[in-house]
This record gives sequence, C-alpha cells and structure tokens, in this order.
Amino acid sequence: MEGLYKYQKELKKRGIILTLCGPISHEVIQSVGTILRAKLSDENASTGLILKVFSVFVEQAENIIRYSISDRHLLETYVGFGILVVGHEDNEFFITCGNKIENSKVSELEANLIKLQNMDKDELKRYYKKKRKEVSNSNSKGAGIGFIEMARKASKPIEFMFEKIDDNYSFFTVNVVI
Amino acid sequence: MENLIIEATKSSPYIELNCNSNVHTIKGESYPENTFAFYKPVMDWLEEYLENLEDKAVFNIEFIYFNSSSSKILMDIFDLLDEACENGKSITVNWIYDEDNDASEEYGEEFAEDLENLEFNLVVKD
Repeated sequence: MEGLYKYQKELKKRGIILTLCGPISHEVIQSVGTILRAKLSDENASTGLILKVFSVFVEQAENIIRYSISDRHLLETYVGFGILVVGHEDNEFFITCGNKIENSKVSELEANLIKLQNMDKDELKRYYKKKRKEVSNSNSKGAGIGFIEMARKASKPIEFMFEKIDDNYSFFTVNVVI
Repeated sequence: MENLIIEATKSSPYIELNCNSNVHTIKGESYPENTFAFYKPVMDWLEEYLENLEDKAVFNIEFIYFNSSSSKILMDIFDLLDEACENGKSITVNWIYDEDNDASEEYGEEFAEDLENLEFNLVVKD
C-alpha cells in the first residue's frame, strides 16, 4: 500500500494528466477520451487544441490495441496491453505510449518513423494524401496513416525508442508533443 | 432499395442515406472500433444507389472529429462519388464545419484538392 501516494505525487510533478497501464480496449478509448476532452475544455483549452490532443490520444491508443503483443482475448473484443500517458508541461502537451512488439517489426517501424522525422509539414501533408489514396491492404487493421496523422498534429518531430526485452520482443515507446 | 439509417454512438456518426429525397447526412464523430466493418454497409449501399441514380444528389457531411482510418474510408467514399460524377451523375458534397474547428476546415480542403469532378463545398456552420 505504501508508495502509491508517492507515485501519484511523482506523476503530478511531471505534469501528467492521466495514465493508463494494462489492458486497453475501444471502450476504454471512448470513455477516457471523453473525460480527457471534458477536462481540457474545463481548463479553457481551444476546440482546436482539444481535438489535436484527443486525436493523438486516439491514434496512440489504437496502435496499442492493434499492434501490441497480447495473446489474451477479453470481452470478445480487441484488447491491447500497454501504457499511455497524457501530460502537460511547459505549455506543451505530450502523449506518450509504450507497448511490447516483436523484434522482427522493429526495423520497418524504425525506418518509417525516421522518414517522418525528416519531413516538414508540407511533405507530411503530401505523404499523408498519397498514402490515403493507396488501395488498402486488407490484412491491415488500420489505414497505416496513423503515424503521419500524429506527425502532422505534433509541434515537433515524433520521438521514439526501442528497448530490447529478449530475443523475441522489444518495448516500443512513442512520444508526441503538441 | 431502402434507406440506410445508422444511429450515432460516442465513436461513430449518425448516417442517413435517403434514396427518396437524395439528400444524405453523415454527422458526428468517427473512430469506430473497426472502421472498415462500420463503413462496409455504407459503401455497399452507395455502390447500388449510384448505379441507379438519375436525379441530383446532395451529401451533407459534418464531422467534429474522425480518426486516420476513417479519413481513409472517407477518401474512398469521395473517390466513389467523384467517379460517378465523371460518368455523368450530378452530386454535391457540403462539408460542414464549425468555425472553431480549424482542423475540420483543413480536412475539407484536403479532400477537395484530391477530387476532380465532384462538387465539394466547404460550408461554415451557422
């Protein structure tokens, strides 16, 4: 029991508005997302800013549901396992997300994210529109443009890292600042 | 063919596709759990509808928020309408947005840029 208050104070000190750790489903995104919007609105954030933060929150959470490694099927729905943090510090919002992925996915993800990091807003727009026009891969659970969407919303390039867990898995962290 | 009406949820829009009036409405939020499955009946309905369409059709579309996979599906829907216009159909899309929601305006502009034949109007909400 000890330590929880200390943990909460630590989160507060780091400007964290909310954190989710564990199983994440679509219902969780809906409910927590709604509360997040209400909280930002209560603090007089503009509609544009609220929707930017919400948009990145949804894309990050959907990535956890779609791409995290989990072999558990709960509630007959897609459930992902990961951690998602939304915070506000130095006039910036950050939405950070982490989940376990297979090592075999690392190089493609890394190449894709480095490509986005090196694009300016106009290039991101063109790339987004190009990808959106492409015929979708029916095996894909999403449209494959979530990272581009987030990069376009972000006020600086998306940061990411991979930490090796073992021979099969890595922990993948993505930080988006608005 | 019958009209298609889907009630809104927290994460999916109200949809009314009306083959009697030819005035169609899509309105609300769009980040359903499975975007492709959610919009499948809409795509199927539209394909059948466009084949037999003779009168002018209007789509009033008003989104507060949609996620990236919905954006992809919306592009597919607009491409379908664009193609129908190329084949002689008369279709107008009114992209309705709130003045406070600059992202929605920008999204509308970006869809319009990628369409050739479809009349795509950006309309500020009263």
